[in-house]
Amino acid sequence: MITCEEFFAEFADYLEDQVSPEVRQELELHLSQCRACQVLCDTSRKTVKIVTESGSFELPHSVSDPIFDRVMAKLRTDHS
Amino acid sequence: MSFLREARLEDRFEPFVAFQDALGFIPNLLQAQTLLPRVIEAQAMLERAVRLREGAIPRAQKERILLSIAADRQDTYCMALDSRVLSSLGSSDGQIDDLLNDYRNADLSAADVASLQFCLKLSRHAPSLCWEDIEALRTCGFGDESIFEVVVVTALAVYRCVLSMGLGPEPDFGARKLRPTRIDQPRSLAPHGLLPDGHKGAQRKGPYVSAPYLSAKTFAPFAVIQKSHGFIPNFFRAQTLRPDLLEAQLEAVDRILLPKDALTRVQKECILLAVSAANLNSYCVAAHCNMLRGLGMPSEDGDQIAVDHHESNLPDPDKALLDFAVKLGTRGSDISREDVVKLKTLGFTEKQILECVVVTAFNNFVNTLQMGLGIEPDFAPPPVFEENKVHLSSGAVTPMQVDSAVRLVDKLQDADAQLVAQAQGGSLEAFEELVRRHTQLIYRTLMAILGNPTDSQDAMQDTLLNAFKHIRGFQGRAKFSTWLVSIARNTALVHLRGRRNVESLDQGDYEEDGDFRPRQVRAWQDDPEQCHSKSEIRQLVERGLLQLPAKYRVVVILRDIQQLSADEVSRQLGLSVPAVKTRLLRGRLMMRELLSPHFTASTKGAVQ
Repeated sequence: MITCEEFFAEFADYLEDQVSPEVRQELELHLSQCRACQVLCDTSRKTVKIVTESGSFELPHSVSDPIFDRVMAKLRTDHS
Repeated sequence: MSFLREARLEDRFEPFVAFQDALGFIPNLLQAQTLLPRVIEAQAMLERAVRLREGAIPRAQKERILLSIAADRQDTYCMALDSRVLSSLGSSDGQIDDLLNDYRNADLSAADVASLQFCLKLSRHAPSLCWEDIEALRTCGFGDESIFEVVVVTALAVYRCVLSMGLGPEPDFGARKLRPTRIDQPRSLAPHGLLPDGHKGAQRKGPYVSAPYLSAKTFAPFAVIQKSHGFIPNFFRAQTLRPDLLEAQLEAVDRILLPKDALTRVQKECILLAVSAANLNSYCVAAHCNMLRGLGMPSEDGDQIAVDHHESNLPDPDKALLDFAVKLGTRGSDISREDVVKLKTLGFTEKQILECVVVTAFNNFVNTLQMGLGIEPDFAPPPVFEENKVHLSSGAVTPMQVDSAVRLVDKLQDADAQLVAQAQGGSLEAFEELVRRHTQLIYRTLMAILGNPTDSQDAMQDTLLNAFKHIRGFQGRAKFSTWLVSIARNTALVHLRGRRNVESLDQGDYEEDGDFRPRQVRAWQDDPEQCHSKSEIRQLVERGLLQLPAKYRVVVILRDIQQLSADEVSRQLGLSVPAVKTRLLRGRLMMRELLSPHFTASTKGAVQ
């Protein structure tokens, strides 16, 4: 079976679902027997999900509209 | 004499000794490369691993493949050489004659005929190879190892033919003549025609043969690749059935692609990119675009070389070098001494021309392996280069016949294209609609770099003004959104210059924090989001992101929050895909550490 270090070397691609069937098999065999990597994997997936669904740094219309208005007003004056 | 000067090497030069032992003489094809002994070593290593080593298919079968491909490409040099070798292995003159003219008449087993049919298709029409061709081999009793070997021998045949066409060595033996009634290979090749309707085989993807897992820890070549590329591309992973061959290829890469004593690394990558594009190999196009980005070339410039190098920013001599390489890689039999003389008058040295020939040959070796093994891409090809549009729909058009098939590629399909055109024509309304579409992308890019809302909102205003100012300069080589992000990035960097303690976005990854390791090992709740309100979670995530170093924050925000693909992120930030992957993993793991206290199984409660 592969070591934790070898598991970690493939981990980025595994999280992105970009490993070949052969590699996946090795990784999942390791996961089935290694609690630490299992936790790492599970918590990392949950992290990605939480970050993705958080909607962070979304600029509300109440802020963006005045910016657009100022910019467009300036462009119209410059243009005419 | 071949097209280039030759040098005298000492008699004990190892590859010469090896060829003397294996064949009883030193082929002129090797003599023609004596200006760069390292490339002779590369060829000797490949030949040893592919041709001479005992493998899954018999030596004579390999030689028949080499000869048939040489004949198919009308390569008189290789035809004479390979005929002599086959004859020394016991083939009759009649059989050799049949192989040269029509292998279907030769007295061969069904398996042999199937392998020749397969190899000729791979050599001539690699992009049309499909799952059915592999199945045809399997029904003749070929297993993974022998299919692999048939593909590699084909790749070697292609390598040798490109070398001999580009170098023009004198035949070692009397020329073999082809009969005028020789079969017209392209029309009668595949049992199911060149491209069946709907091209079903293409829907079933590779890889065609199994590839056992090898670890970078125990398999030294993978450790080398890991270090040089930052990851192990599928191209190498797909070849683990034959570790010895992988080793030989890396030795060849070391001797052909890495040295800088003749052509530069960038020149060689440009050759690999342009010839792969002409061969319609989207895997290699994506890989070399990425390599060029890693060598500092802006991604639009690399993309342009893939589409049409004549329109690129390269200096004229380099364009001529690529013309030569593309002609050699796709229509090698048209190369003559005049082509070589032309490069010399443009100032290229004989060593550089030799290296260009060898790089082109090696490129076609790699292209053939990739197509023959159905290796899956690591990265998306450039948005403007979609090979399917060219070769799948155009029926009889094959890479061998089309001057520069990629020129047929449509201009980029961008949902913003129409509005961009109107905005470039001066329409303010079109411009406003266009940038409003990308509000969140711009703002998040700015937040990612600047790390605070007030600055980001100021920079947003400047970004929009800059975008309008420069929109006429946008040429549609990249997606409009990619261009817009680059404007936002530059605007943000100008804002940053006004600050002290600027964090760099461009530090390397591998050295300074190479052993970042996750520390938190406590499990999280099954449903971590349940214990916090949506706004609490958003606050936690935003606070966490602002604690990350900027170079990780940018990648996490664009990939996970803005949900761009790794490839798009790499284009927008001008980073290689592997660098994006490394930073993304680090950033995600840092976020995991920061979020962990709030979500571990034993913790309940609100934001602290």
